Amino acid sequence: MLFNTLQYLVFLPTVFLLFWVVPHRLRVPLLLVASYVFYMSWRPIYGLLIFGLTLGNFLLVPLIARSAQVKHKKIWLGVVVAGNLITLAVFKYAYFSVHSLKEGLSLFGVNWHEPHLHIILPLGISFFVFEFIHYAVEVYRGKPLVKSFPDFALFASFFPTQIAGPIKRYQDFIPQLSVPARFKWQYLDEGMQLILMGLFKKVIIADNLALVVQAGFTHPANFSPLDLWLITYAFAFQIFFDFAGYTDIARGSALLFGYKVPINFNLPYIAANVSDFWHRWHISLSTWLRDYLFIPLGGSRCSQIFNYRNLFITMTLGGLWHGAAMHFLAWGAYQGILLILHREYTRLLERLGIASQLFKSKIYHAVSVVLTFHIVCIGWVLFRAENLTIAGQMLQKLAQAPAALLHFSAAQLACLQIRDPIIFPALVIILPVLMIAQVVVNWLNDKPFYKSPPWAVQVGVMVATMCLLTVFSPDTSPRFIYFQF
Amino acid sequence: MEAVGIATTASTDEVCRQWHAPDSDGREPAWVLLVRAVLSSSTVVSLIALLIINNLAASADIGQPRFTNVSEQSWTGWTIKDFLSSQERANLLLLGSSLVLVPVAGADANFLKQRLDGTRHHRSFYLEAALKARTGYSVRTFNFALPGQMPSDAYLIEDFLLDGKRRPDVIVYGLGPRDFMDNLLPSPAATDPFRNLSRFGDISRMLDRVMPDWFDQFSFNLGQSFCLYGRKGELADQASQEFARCLNRLLPRPKGASQFSVFDRRRLLPGYRPEKLTKGEAYFRPTGIKEKPQFLNNVDEYRKRYRQVNWNTFMTQMQFLAELLDMARHRGSHVVIVSMPISDINRALVQEYAWNAYRRSVRVLAAFKGASYVDLEGSGQFHLSDFGDTVHLQADGGKKMLDLLADRLAGDHSVRLALKISADMGGNLQPYSSGSPGQAVSPLKPAQPAAPLACLRNQPL
Repeated sequence: MLFNTLQYLVFLPTVFLLFWVVPHRLRVPLLLVASYVFYMSWRPIYGLLIFGLTLGNFLLVPLIARSAQVKHKKIWLGVVVAGNLITLAVFKYAYFSVHSLKEGLSLFGVNWHEPHLHIILPLGISFFVFEFIHYAVEVYRGKPLVKSFPDFALFASFFPTQIAGPIKRYQDFIPQLSVPARFKWQYLDEGMQLILMGLFKKVIIADNLALVVQAGFTHPANFSPLDLWLITYAFAFQIFFDFAGYTDIARGSALLFGYKVPINFNLPYIAANVSDFWHRWHISLSTWLRDYLFIPLGGSRCSQIFNYRNLFITMTLGGLWHGAAMHFLAWGAYQGILLILHREYTRLLERLGIASQLFKSKIYHAVSVVLTFHIVCIGWVLFRAENLTIAGQMLQKLAQAPAALLHFSAAQLACLQIRDPIIFPALVIILPVLMIAQVVVNWLNDKPFYKSPPWAVQVGVMVATMCLLTVFSPDTSPRFIYFQF
Repeated sequence: MEAVGIATTASTDEVCRQWHAPDSDGREPAWVLLVRAVLSSSTVVSLIALLIINNLAASADIGQPRFTNVSEQSWTGWTIKDFLSSQERANLLLLGSSLVLVPVAGADANFLKQRLDGTRHHRSFYLEAALKARTGYSVRTFNFALPGQMPSDAYLIEDFLLDGKRRPDVIVYGLGPRDFMDNLLPSPAATDPFRNLSRFGDISRMLDRVMPDWFDQFSFNLGQSFCLYGRKGELADQASQEFARCLNRLLPRPKGASQFSVFDRRRLLPGYRPEKLTKGEAYFRPTGIKEKPQFLNNVDEYRKRYRQVNWNTFMTQMQFLAELLDMARHRGSHVVIVSMPISDINRALVQEYAWNAYRRSVRVLAAFKGASYVDLEGSGQFHLSDFGDTVHLQADGGKKMLDLLADRLAGDHSVRLALKISADMGGNLQPYSSGSPGQAVSPLKPAQPAAPLACLRNQPL
């Protein structure tokens, strides 16, 4: 079931009404059933897989806590983590591994007929697995166990965050389940505002930008270097609004039941450097990678070279987590290299004694934001391209942009020629507006007017959004990008 | 609103309890709570405001689909527009899928020796001429065949359009096995003709048949009771056109650049509104012996279409065909069912029992409902060289098909009777007169195109 479908429009209010009608002790079972209905509406058999994983983790993780010796704790932690990772590997990376092996062997002249694998990736399995690993590691570190199986099962399968996060922390989520809350209109209002905002981001912005991105990334040869930059910017905003839209709907849906789930985005395109970007982009993933991969690898409390190694491994594996393909791996490695370069650059400025002076300068900050955005956009090319060959073509053409700018004429831009769909020429206006919007929202964020707008403004915005969404709701609902991960 | 989330990320037990603290002591009477809710909840007030806006839009008829403002951007849209704007009533109307559309228009392109824009050419000059040569009467045709048309679509055309002044005397309906067993079609409501036509009338009585899925029915019923949703297609189109108009004014297309054609767009965005058709996008071109188009092997496509016969689809479409025949008879139109020829290659893809069921059902239905039945499939006259692919006749095959059809129509007593009745009642059926300019066309001697096509030549094609 997708958030942007009529099915969800029926499902969510039904669960919402039932939730506030039934007694508190039935709320968790109700949400659990609803979550499995939500999941199994796609492919019922995979409901069993998720249930099996949940049960396995629920039964095995207490063995970590009960082990008296650290050695035994480690063994049980290894078993749990390996079990989760093997499940992920089988469903997500089996085909990629076999195919890569075949490609590798062919380099040595070995012609190996790979076995035919027909594995359908269970929706959201990467998110499930990460939440289970988080639970196991936290218990290993001495945090309390979850005693109730329904609570634990709901933590994993809670339908708003089930398919694409945000990746929750059980210490934050489980205590909320035991609070015998009474209905407050605040839940409904804040939840609905987030849901409408999320749908607007997805339906009105991301899905329209998707048309341009699809054309550009499938046929880069048909577009000039400057067009391809526009298309790359378009993808940067498409993926942001798609995923941020999903997160808003997830958070809004959870709020309807009085539950809070973590945020995932904080205006990522106004980041002044790559490190800052990763503090603002997919926050629940980057903090997970920090806590359960980077730190266990040694983190930054080691020599410089090992610190960089850890950073590189973390980001590369983070890239591979997004998808079993070389271009995701390349994207992750690119991010790792960028973070290492950024650290080296900061160290250099500190050695020169100009770091604090520079960082205070507004002009330096503005230039940094623009540069970071472009560096991130280059990464998005690796992320979005179907394969490394297309990514290579795109990057090659993007590199020709400075020369194209020297002889610029509007006639070069294919985007201005294509008038149907109208989003192509509209990019010239929409993209700057979206960028400026990030800056404006950043400025507004600490203003009381924006934090809690007057009631009339809230109503006006909600009504306008509802009207827009009603009129522009598509007949077929495109999937959210992050569903594939 | 993002800030709300950012400001409240910390979630400990304490924060949870604060967050969940009840906001009333629960002693107020229910009506007080209700009034408080209405006045304090932005969601409730927004929903009420939305309902008011919806009712205003409904009473002001905003976005109400009408035949007068039908969007032209598809085969169906262009054809409806042309049908309704035509000054003269057509007394012979052609129905069917591309199985009928392609050969009829192709034969005309050869006959008139000019390329014909699919968005504007909706007659069969060749059939008119062939009938005139055989009967001495001028017949005015209208080709309402549409790509992908199913009997359910044909039924809507009959129901909503072929009544009163626009009632044809004879309806020639060309059928093929795909019309009853297309696996690629999730439901009858999924075709472009159905989507277009269903907006102009009440289809609630046939909802179970055309939308078997519960959510499709829910969506339809939601659209019926909530006009902003029900008319979203029209409203979104209007808004997009306005936006495009503003943008074109603000950012005109740069001069001196190469033009992006609709074909470029289709290549770049194959999934973007596949039903969309603009002027100059689909031409039927005259083909000589030398430039005969290459045979297109579309076996794989039809293998998917015929893979497993869905008897529900089959029965539903047969039912629509039966109802179409009933309605046409009730309205005084005589129907001629034509079993369209398909190639042996395509025929072999249909399972034997399905083929027999299709052939027998159509034949029995025609006999039972008083329609004429022309079996071109079983005529043995068509060979692979007549086809452009495994199902569609190319222009020469179309000419052969129309000649055979004209023979059968001219010799069919019911058809003659239907056309004659029209003439007696003041229709446009005129006795044959070889001297009347623009009318004396014979299949043996192609003449200048008739008036409506003359204007086509003056347009930039």
